[in-house]
Amino acid sequence: MRQFAFPLGTALRGGLALAVFISLSQPAFAHEQAGIAGGFASGFLHPLTGLDHMIAMVAVGIWGAQLGMPAIWVLPITFPIVMAMGGVLGILKLPLPFQEPVIALSALVLGIAVAVRLKTPFTVAAAIVAVFAIFHGYAHGAELPHAANPFAYGIGFVVATGLLHLCGISIGLLLRWPIGDRLIRGMGAAIALLGCYFLARSLGGMA
Amino acid sequence: MRNLIKLLIAGLAALIVPVGSAHAHLIGTRFGDFYAGAFHPLTDLNDVVLWIALGLLAGSLGAPRSRWLVVLFPFGLAAGFALAIADGTNFSGDVANATLIAGLGLALAAGLRLPAPLLGLVGFALAVMRGIANAAAVEPATNLVLFGAGLACAGYATITLTMAIVIAFRRAEAGATSAWRGIALRALGGWIAAIGLMMVGFTLAGPGAS
Repeated sequence: MRQFAFPLGTALRGGLALAVFISLSQPAFAHEQAGIAGGFASGFLHPLTGLDHMIAMVAVGIWGAQLGMPAIWVLPITFPIVMAMGGVLGILKLPLPFQEPVIALSALVLGIAVAVRLKTPFTVAAAIVAVFAIFHGYAHGAELPHAANPFAYGIGFVVATGLLHLCGISIGLLLRWPIGDRLIRGMGAAIALLGCYFLARSLGGMA
Repeated sequence: MRNLIKLLIAGLAALIVPVGSAHAHLIGTRFGDFYAGAFHPLTDLNDVVLWIALGLLAGSLGAPRSRWLVVLFPFGLAAGFALAIADGTNFSGDVANATLIAGLGLALAAGLRLPAPLLGLVGFALAVMRGIANAAAVEPATNLVLFGAGLACAGYATITLTMAIVIAFRRAEAGATSAWRGIALRALGGWIAAIGLMMVGFTLAGPGAS
């Protein structure tokens, strides 16, 4: 008759591992974030979770790098300020028509500018970017009064936007190498295609 | 024996891991009011953003122009705090704070070279204003001297450290062909100005505006 041997050692080890595992677990904080942390997090994530916003902001940085001086530093300095003006329009709930299509259009236009390495006079580039900045700012600003902490929300979305520009400028450093130039143009084409998709979707939603 | 040691180690780990850190600080004792004064402004974004914006602007102007702020800023905080306690002055100043944030940010973004007396005056006025605002946190049982000292020390540490970091950051660029550090500071000014502009709009015309 075959004897059943209870694997006491294995069971003990398993039990101990389970005890350690359980003791490591923390209580769940299944609440919405509130206060400064919640306001900052929601503001910071707002430009990052909207792909149309994100690719347009990165494209601004890349295009600035392609245009060289002074665009490479003037655009990141002035963009947040112009965007804040759009944000104020959003806070005031002033009607701004075609927000979503224009935001999608910004990705399309900026993506094309990067893809074809468009060389425009600085004032023209600044004007194009400023118009788009108003619309992007409006979309963020409209959400600001509903934030857990509006001040922290504002800080969050300005910082996120600035970091996306920085990301774009950093990608623009690849221009030093011939392969980098091709890579950037390819990224521009991808941004333009995504912009095209978002534009079609927003126009479809309007129809 | 080995199993017993393993068992002991695992048991010990199970006991230690869930334990939180001890809060063995002096907050609950008499010296707590000093900490209350020091930490109160650091938990308010109005103070944090304003102080850092002033420090960045002052630091970007260089040590000769900004060194007076090391004295004027904490003195202004203490003066504002004392004024509020003695006179009962009450000032929350959300619009003024937002305007100052926007103004300091724009000055930094534009690379304005403010003269030292004007910078000192702005810094002192800002400190008095925030000293008055921070006095609102005082309760009947608060030790006013300790609270005021904590506030002034926090102001001194923040403004001095921010200016020192900026001056060191810019100094590393001296003589270099590229000036990206200055541009980074000005971009930061653009961010601060944007935050200030939006808060001006929000305080004047947002849902809570009177």
